[in-house]
Amino acid sequence: MLRYVAGRLSWVLVILLAVCVFTYVIFFQLSPDPAVMICGKTCTPERIDTIRTSLGLDRPFLQQLGDFLRGIVAGRDYGSGANLVHCPAPCLGYSFQSGQSVWEMVLERLPVSVTVAVGAAVLWLLGGVTIGLLSGVKEGTWWDRSTMALALGGSSIPPYVLALALQYLLVVKWQVLPFPAAIPFGDDPVAWFQSYLMPWIVLAIGYACLYARMTRANVIDTLAENFMRTARAKGLGPVLILRRHALRPALTPIVTIFGMDFAGLLGGALITETVFGLNGVGKMASDAIAKNDQPVIMAVTLLAAFFVVIGNVVVDLLYTALDPRVRTTAS
Amino acid sequence: MATTTLHEAQPSLPSPPTGAAPPGGTARRVLRELRRDIGAVLSTAFLVLIVLMALFAPLIGTLAGHGPDTFDSAAVDKDLGGLPKGSLGGISGDHWLGVEPQNGRDILVRIAYGARISMLIAVSATLLTTVIGVVLGLLAGFYGRWVDQVISRLMDFLMAFPALIFMIAVLSALPAGNRPVLLVIVLSVFGWPYLARVVRGQTLTLTGREFVEAARASGAGSRALIFAEILPNLRSTIIVMTTLAVPGYIGTEAGLSFLGVGVTPPTASWGQMIANSVSWYQVDPMYFVIPGAFLFGTVLALTVVGDRLRHALDAGEAS
Amino acid sequence: MTESPAHRAGPDESADLLEVEGLTVTFPTTRGPVDVVRDNTFTLRNNETLGIVGESGSGKSMTALAVMGLLPRGARTSGSIRFRGTELLGRPDAELRRLRGNAMSMVFQDPLSSLNPYYTVGLQIAEVYRCHRGGSRRAARRMAIDALGRVGIPDPAERVDRYPHQFSGGQRQRIMIAMALICEPALLIADEPTTALDVTVQSQILELLAELKRQTGTGMLFITHDLAVIATIAQRVLVMRDGEQLEYADTERVFSAPRHPYTRMLLESIPRIDDELAAPGVVSPTARPARPTDPAPAQEEVR
Repeated sequence: MLRYVAGRLSWVLVILLAVCVFTYVIFFQLSPDPAVMICGKTCTPERIDTIRTSLGLDRPFLQQLGDFLRGIVAGRDYGSGANLVHCPAPCLGYSFQSGQSVWEMVLERLPVSVTVAVGAAVLWLLGGVTIGLLSGVKEGTWWDRSTMALALGGSSIPPYVLALALQYLLVVKWQVLPFPAAIPFGDDPVAWFQSYLMPWIVLAIGYACLYARMTRANVIDTLAENFMRTARAKGLGPVLILRRHALRPALTPIVTIFGMDFAGLLGGALITETVFGLNGVGKMASDAIAKNDQPVIMAVTLLAAFFVVIGNVVVDLLYTALDPRVRTTAS
Repeated sequence: MATTTLHEAQPSLPSPPTGAAPPGGTARRVLRELRRDIGAVLSTAFLVLIVLMALFAPLIGTLAGHGPDTFDSAAVDKDLGGLPKGSLGGISGDHWLGVEPQNGRDILVRIAYGARISMLIAVSATLLTTVIGVVLGLLAGFYGRWVDQVISRLMDFLMAFPALIFMIAVLSALPAGNRPVLLVIVLSVFGWPYLARVVRGQTLTLTGREFVEAARASGAGSRALIFAEILPNLRSTIIVMTTLAVPGYIGTEAGLSFLGVGVTPPTASWGQMIANSVSWYQVDPMYFVIPGAFLFGTVLALTVVGDRLRHALDAGEAS
Repeated sequence: MTESPAHRAGPDESADLLEVEGLTVTFPTTRGPVDVVRDNTFTLRNNETLGIVGESGSGKSMTALAVMGLLPRGARTSGSIRFRGTELLGRPDAELRRLRGNAMSMVFQDPLSSLNPYYTVGLQIAEVYRCHRGGSRRAARRMAIDALGRVGIPDPAERVDRYPHQFSGGQRQRIMIAMALICEPALLIADEPTTALDVTVQSQILELLAELKRQTGTGMLFITHDLAVIATIAQRVLVMRDGEQLEYADTERVFSAPRHPYTRMLLESIPRIDDELAAPGVVSPTARPARPTDPAPAQEEVR
């Protein structure tokens, strides 16, 4: 078991390193010179050189990459002498736009993204899985057919179209909700809830529809299993059969997919945050992309990859806990 | 959210049909089954309409009397900040689906041109993905060992990548160049592992099956095995996964264009139209409703067709 | 065939264990309704083993499922199934449920897929007992350990907490049998219980079933496609094909003088081990099917 976990963790490091290198190469080599960007319009060649030196851009590529990686692990210093700036670990550099520490920016915005992700996840799990369970058990009924038709439709709506439609109807036309804004929970819980409600719904609908269809398919597969026939042959009641014998096999695969989807969202719901103007990591990413703020783009890419890879490992471990067949082969 | 709804939708949706080769006559049976399904028929009809619109976009422009970039100041009201004249976003005999606010460009014509670029990108990306996915999946599944190791690790890596953020970042960093081609490449690079993973798995099972072993024992070479024994058995899987990949790519392309890193003006695209409509949605909702409806309809129709196709193929294999 | 008097209600000690009369099972298909079992009539006496033989699709399993009330949704039944004198057809599922796993139980063909992979075998055995007899979790667990020991699972107190995939194929079928017998049913239906198993394990399981039957006096309906197996275990045989009953008689008679050409064909396909003892085309009912010496159950490796 320990060896297994160690193996998984080293795999995480390899993937993250690969993401790092890949992203670094693409951004720092292909896009316009960062020194020129920082310097702005009124700029002298000398100033560009100074910036280059202080950022370490005059050094060979591999060394730059090494500095960057070391910065994440151990922190690094920019410039020298009186201009020396120490960037403590994990150092992701400073925004070309605001000069703020990228790590601090991430920390500032992560709570918004987490709030968006958690709220949406609760909604889509409750909605999607419940509908899927009912439809699977009642396969072929009008309930099954109508919910599955809706689910097919719901998963086809582009989130930004849904966002605009909801915003138009709920905020502009019927005025049942205020314009979304990231209001801290402590300030006004009701306003907080109202402001996040639309982003949650928009984000949740696509997933809910997908999960409803997956859950239904799993339930139908499980009900066709031989052990379900055994359960009936044992004389167990229908409720016990569903609760004990069908639920766990049908939902275990959902848990793994949920882990991946949720991890993917922690890195920022880019479109939803942008459309609703929520100041999360996703919005930060799209702003940074618009202004070519490379350190921020790097950081967001890495962060998202980090969550996905960690999610992967957590899901694997979870799976060994949920499925006895995996448990014994892993240990 | 989009990052994942757009992208994760691809791996989770198609649970590919498993099993043996569809016997001859499958095509006819599947067609017959699809013809009986009202959803599939309506979806196909809608898709035919969209494809015709895309193919004959210039003709639609000529018939309507507006190019995709013809400004029509007579159709908008300068005093109201450029809102379309008339109700419902300026729908009239002259502009069947209304006009854009401010510049008065004809929405129908722009939708037709948008369908063109959308279809072009999605279909090209699907073709490219299919080629890469099938080839690499086959190689990994058939040869195993280090070939499999290399390809599988590459797939793991690409699937762990935060694809949407990265696509956006790359597209914004790369020089403008030929946007549609860039989009096709970027979409394919991150799209192929989802097909390859399935192809690899099925190839692995097939390689162990008796008929492949028999063919191998009777002296068939690798090429003959792959093309005569394995590939035909992957046909229905590939058909279904490809059909379901197209709506995914249409959605992702529109999403990228919506975020301003996809198709760039002056080329018309649905995502871009919706992005432009964001600042107008309160006063001119039709501006986002129409491209939104077309985008939704196209994605839905393709998903329905793919879904029914899978059912029809699955049912054939079950019997 | 013995004709027994009709019983209207209540378990009747004098009645035969199971009386099936004119049983017809119909499935709706796209091409109209299809009878998978047509007008099947037979009787199983107390303590007796009746073998039902036929190819797949002959309706033998559907007959068994009809008795258990486990036919797939959409199936229609007509005729009569009386269990200890009580009519079962048309009774609500809630009533049948009280019988299933309790007074009548069933062992299926593929033990791995018939056990839920997510729960320990102990739980899966104990839940039958608790469902029908109640009692504490701990008592049921003790019963499960006992039952595992009775079917020859070594070290039952420890193995009770293992999962199905941790047992060998033969052991899994032993577990299924333990589960079926824990409430001491009057009727045990075994549907191809040895088909999915290795030949050596097959005979062990047959022996176990015969031994447990001797101990408990359970009546058994033994379904198989293999006439050779029937010879070793059943007193009477019912041969089915395409949903129809072809032959129904004492095992000895069927083996010595088969009436239906199909039965003769089945008999001829049995590999004969001692042509000296048996006339051509006939296997003595006392002759065991070919099998090597039984290894002790304990030698079955835990996977």
